[in-house]
Amino acid sequence: MDIWESFKMAGRTLSANRMRSSLTMLGIIIGNASVIAMIGVGQGAQRYAAEQFQSLGTDVIFVITGTDNARRNVIAPPNRLVLADAEALATQIGVVRAVAPQINGSELVIAGNNTRRATIIGTTPSYSEVRNADVSSGRFFNADDVRRNARVVTIGSALSRELFPQGNPVGQQVRIRGTSYEIIGVMAEKGAFLGTNQDDTLFMPISTVTNRLVGQRTSPYGVAIQVINVSARSPREVAVAEFQIANLLRLRHQTTGDAAEETFTIRTQRDALEIVGNITRALTIMLAAIAGISLLVGGIGIMNIMLVSVTERTQEIGLRKAIGASQSDILSQFMIEAVILSLLGGLVGTGIGVGGVLLVAIATPLQAGVSLAAIGLAVGVSGSIGLFFGVYPARQAARLDPIVALRSV
Amino acid sequence: MLIHPTPPSLDPATPPQTQVVALEDVSKTYGLGDTLVTALDHVSFGIGATEYCSIMGASGSGKSTCMNVIGCLDRPTSGRYYLDGQDVSCLNEQDLAMIRNLKIGFIFQQYHLLPQLSALENVMLPMAYAGVSGKERRDRAAEALIRVGMGNRLNNRPNQLSGGQQQRVAIARAIVNRPVILLADEPTGALDSRTTQEVLHLFGELHASGITVIMVTHEPDVARQTRRIIWFQDGRVIHPYLKPEDLKSVL
Ligand SMILES: Nc1ncnc2c1ncn2[C@@H]1O[C@H](COP(=O)(O)OP(=O)(O)O)[C@@H](O)[C@H]1O
Ligand SMILES: [Mg+2]
Repeated sequence: MDIWESFKMAGRTLSANRMRSSLTMLGIIIGNASVIAMIGVGQGAQRYAAEQFQSLGTDVIFVITGTDNARRNVIAPPNRLVLADAEALATQIGVVRAVAPQINGSELVIAGNNTRRATIIGTTPSYSEVRNADVSSGRFFNADDVRRNARVVTIGSALSRELFPQGNPVGQQVRIRGTSYEIIGVMAEKGAFLGTNQDDTLFMPISTVTNRLVGQRTSPYGVAIQVINVSARSPREVAVAEFQIANLLRLRHQTTGDAAEETFTIRTQRDALEIVGNITRALTIMLAAIAGISLLVGGIGIMNIMLVSVTERTQEIGLRKAIGASQSDILSQFMIEAVILSLLGGLVGTGIGVGGVLLVAIATPLQAGVSLAAIGLAVGVSGSIGLFFGVYPARQAARLDPIVALRSV
Repeated sequence: MLIHPTPPSLDPATPPQTQVVALEDVSKTYGLGDTLVTALDHVSFGIGATEYCSIMGASGSGKSTCMNVIGCLDRPTSGRYYLDGQDVSCLNEQDLAMIRNLKIGFIFQQYHLLPQLSALENVMLPMAYAGVSGKERRDRAAEALIRVGMGNRLNNRPNQLSGGQQQRVAIARAIVNRPVILLADEPTGALDSRTTQEVLHLFGELHASGITVIMVTHEPDVARQTRRIIWFQDGRVIHPYLKPEDLKSVL
């Protein structure tokens, strides 16, 4: 019997048993839909994270106080980054274009009847340049404000909307720990990044933070800071800058390059992209693996139903053999039925999965996408699952003794 | 092609060419040891081309087993079987499938039509296994159905047909590949006397058109309408050539 004829015959048999066929396909449908959706969402997350880091700029270097190792210890090391370190980087390293030290805090911010807890970042005007953080109205504080310890702040767009729902806050006052500060600018919308959301943040001159909030000596060596944001003179000089920064800081902190002694961590955009890439890739693989298990379960479902079908159709098999079907005819008949079930289930599942991915793309910032590769993979895999799980029942069918099969009334 | 040349004539076992079916010392046993059942016990007989004969005997006497051997559905445990001059005991599974497809037409007591297919499609099935083209299949199946008087029921499903009608479709399916022999195992066992007569009439016509017809039956009235009766008892042929007129003496 030729292949086309076998497909038509399988179609007749499967559609004669529509309910059973669709239930059999259900497992594959669910498996396939979840594979497509999970890969789509995972890749969306990957792309989203990568984009976030790309927006940092390729010349950015973060010098972060402490190391992953030290941070695991309960007691913070005394040898922290201090304001003087940042000044040293700015003045002593030639390949550096701008340096912005950063103190992080969290305070209650009051404006009229509205109170919000907000992240406070104390920094210098260079921050705006290094981190591509622009104002949408008003201005960012300048060197003069820093020198004067001016009581001025720039606030994030979301914070602005919450504290001043009625409109433009520039020129208005907010109170933090009993002191009033004038709002001189509102930051452009940027969204969350690495756990901090610029839109919910209040920026203050670093000198104002030390003088009015945290104090002048927060470590044995001066004003402790959490991060030094640095931009290299050009993207090509990032590696040189990284090297020189590390050397200078070790000299200042009197440490060697030993991992155990290290007092700071340097991250560049490339590092960050790599780390995030690894995490999201692992996430995607995990999601796909979980979904893959349901595909496997679907395949076993097909095998199960095909075995039942072989038992139920022994007479048909006997009859077909009596009128001239060879073992390979019977084998291919049952294989084709299994493959049709799994391919059809694969296609329907793919459709549902694509729909799910589109929904995610509409409803969340994840740019969940459907790659042709994912579809090809899922349909290919479900087809092979049909083949794989169809072999055993089909062989059982092909090997049936026609006499025994015909006898079973 | 599967048909191997006939064994060389030096072989003393070569049967006369006119015999379509030739069993030589055929035995068939089932099981082992204590449970050993001898279904066929050194059976030898021949059936010539265009014969019309029936096989009779008590239940369990080996009639169906013999039919299965003749129809290449089963292999003898020992002995030789020549079909149309060809020793089929040495053929492989693939070749036997082809012989069943092209040389043999089977008819069963329970019709064995596929419920998901129409009458026409059921009759087309053997040709699909023979590799006949779609158009020719359709034409020949319709022709066969017209021949058995089912021309007006081509597109009915088996469950829309009476027992007699289903058996006619099964006969059309059996003859559509123009077999050498037609094997019917109790074809009228499930039919009333009127439809039995109609089916026998069809067999008569088919025999007249040159097909060898072999039928198992336990109804003497049915057997009497054939030309020869082979009588089985306990796996042996005790009357290989009984005339319908002589049936009374055996009964
Ligand atoms: N597949 C089998 N396994 C075991 N015994 C069998 C099998 N087929 C037939 N027999 C036995 O062989 C004998 C002949 O059976 P069968 O040819 O069906 O008889 P009949 O058709 O004349 O009633 C019986 O005793 C039956 O029980
Ligand atoms: Mg019987």
